[in-house]
Amino acid sequence: MMSDIDQDPPRRQFETLIPLINVVFLLLIFFLLAGTMTPADNVAVKLPVGALSDAEREAPATVLVEADGFVWLGERVVDPKIAQGPLREYLADKGMERVAVKADAEASAESLLLLMEALREIGVKQVTIVTERGG
Amino acid sequence: MFDEPVRRRNMASLTPLIDVVFLLLIFFMLTTSFLKTQSLSVVTPAPSADELPTDARVVEIWLMGDGTLRVDGTPVEREGLVEAVKAGIGARKDMTVTILAESGSKTQAFVSAIEAARQAGAHDVGTARVEKITP
Repeated sequence: MMSDIDQDPPRRQFETLIPLINVVFLLLIFFLLAGTMTPADNVAVKLPVGALSDAEREAPATVLVEADGFVWLGERVVDPKIAQGPLREYLADKGMERVAVKADAEASAESLLLLMEALREIGVKQVTIVTERGG
Repeated sequence: MFDEPVRRRNMASLTPLIDVVFLLLIFFMLTTSFLKTQSLSVVTPAPSADELPTDARVVEIWLMGDGTLRVDGTPVEREGLVEAVKAGIGARKDMTVTILAESGSKTQAFVSAIEAARQAGAHDVGTARVEKITP
């Protein structure tokens, strides 16, 4: 059985490729272990930098605040001034207990507060502002 | 350079493997995110700034529209905010910190103010938005 494999293989071609494969495998394992896979948000927001962390579980509902102040509820975009109705609809099946807000660092605090006021009006007592670890 | 005849028979078993590994590598490179996020729990804001307490047990952080910060009317730098709030709180345990965001202030300043209030040891953090802060 072993004699089949031992039949003088042309080793030179393999030997040039093996370091490449090694590196590629290494990179593959690195990305597998080091990265976390998260579904992409509908709009890219640059999170504000924060220092504190309230180790909280992943919130089922995420609301995005874009840099220009508009609020993204899943696929819908609304103005924070009139967000109350859409928010109630959006949170109806997700629950009111834990709502995460991903606000752009450059978004005006006013739009974030308007959104939080709308959330309070529909019965959300506490929101979780997502920040980026740093400074 | 490539004048030697390449014997393909033995290589053929390795090429699909390399293809698949590359494919997986590219997939993981594109889907993983290394952004470390953390969460900050915030109580939803008061209906209006008038409903927040304004007695002696309150330290106010003002987020001015031009990006500057004030603690009880005194301008402070972003770095010195925690110290200023700490000085305002003193040794008391029942102090409330109120964050008033003028229109034009940014989310980053708002998050920094909430964190500063928490780090300074505030018992309670209230937030509200105001059009224009009148000292």
